[in-house]
Amino acid sequence: MRRIDAFRAIAPAIAAEDLVTTSIGATWDDWWNLKPADNTFFTGVLGSVTSTALGLAVSLPHRRIIAFESDGSMLMNTGILCTLGAERPPNLTVLVFDNGIYENIGGPPTLTSRNTDLARMAEGAGCLNCATVDDPDALAERFSAMLDDGEMGYLVAKIEPGKYPWEWKDRKPTDGIEDKYRFLRYVEELEGVVIHPGAPQN
Amino acid sequence: MTADAVPEYARLFVEGLKEADVSVVTALPESLLASVYRLCAADNAIRYIQVSNEGDMPGICAGTYLAGKRALMIMENSGIRQCCEPVARLAFQHAVPMVMAMSYRGEWGEQNWWGHNHAQTMAPILDALRIPHRFVTEHAEIKPAIRRAFKHADGSNWPVALVFSGNCVELPAYAKD
Repeated sequence: MRRIDAFRAIAPAIAAEDLVTTSIGATWDDWWNLKPADNTFFTGVLGSVTSTALGLAVSLPHRRIIAFESDGSMLMNTGILCTLGAERPPNLTVLVFDNGIYENIGGPPTLTSRNTDLARMAEGAGCLNCATVDDPDALAERFSAMLDDGEMGYLVAKIEPGKYPWEWKDRKPTDGIEDKYRFLRYVEELEGVVIHPGAPQN
Repeated sequence: MTADAVPEYARLFVEGLKEADVSVVTALPESLLASVYRLCAADNAIRYIQVSNEGDMPGICAGTYLAGKRALMIMENSGIRQCCEPVARLAFQHAVPMVMAMSYRGEWGEQNWWGHNHAQTMAPILDALRIPHRFVTEHAEIKPAIRRAFKHADGSNWPVALVFSGNCVELPAYAKD
């Protein structure tokens, strides 16, 4: 299964009212092309995609929060698995697209291509509902179940290694500042709150 | 003082967090602010998230901010070295406001040989990240410093740091003079 096939399999399960964080590069370009919406914070920080989702999850416990991780991002900060295992936010689902390579820089292997099993690491760290899938049907079924089971989920989707870049014109055109404001204003509307007000007069 | 007694600085610190509407505290516990971690962990009004690496904390704070709530990350000043990369990216790439509090290990009179590098590297790293910092050394400064830190971070769309030392830590360096 290619990553875009995995995204297509789970996209129908994600509602506009869900909030999403996503890893960088081709991962966010896939998601941008498939389901462009402001409910996604395109997190330009390898190693902080899940921790940002954790902050959203504990602060908005009534809302479904989803983190689209990559193996490269997870491997940069595996300590977050222990934090997740301790907190176990029931409204958080982490989906890791694991292709075993650093795709965006040309494809050198990540350590999941050797002996590292992220789902077993998560389970050992105390995370709940940890699983690995490698076909779109199983992915769609497990992912949908995790969204609504009232417990955290940690799902690893094994995807084909390979480089699947979008043409420049089709890549996500926004930068990190615009991404922040689009997401922030979306949350303001969704939650009926003011996060970033205008400047006071004096 | 018994183990359960609450030092005045810690009581003011946690009261200040509540008055500033802080709902999430994430920390990697250390000795100089020990009572603050203990109070936060026991307080039902605060979601206390203990991490094992300071690098977890900027994302947790960013997610909390983007949810419309307030978070504080707390660590020893050595922790800025560990979380430098996510702080830098969330600031320079996303302009996410963030408030960090740190104890000042390496205070004038520090007797631990291993503590001096923490002080020596703290300010240069904060300066390199363009993060303004203010020392908090007296009890009367604690609540205003916390309140203004969030205003400054939100107004500037950038991280700020509060550095606790003097009478605002468990045991001031000069206490062993």
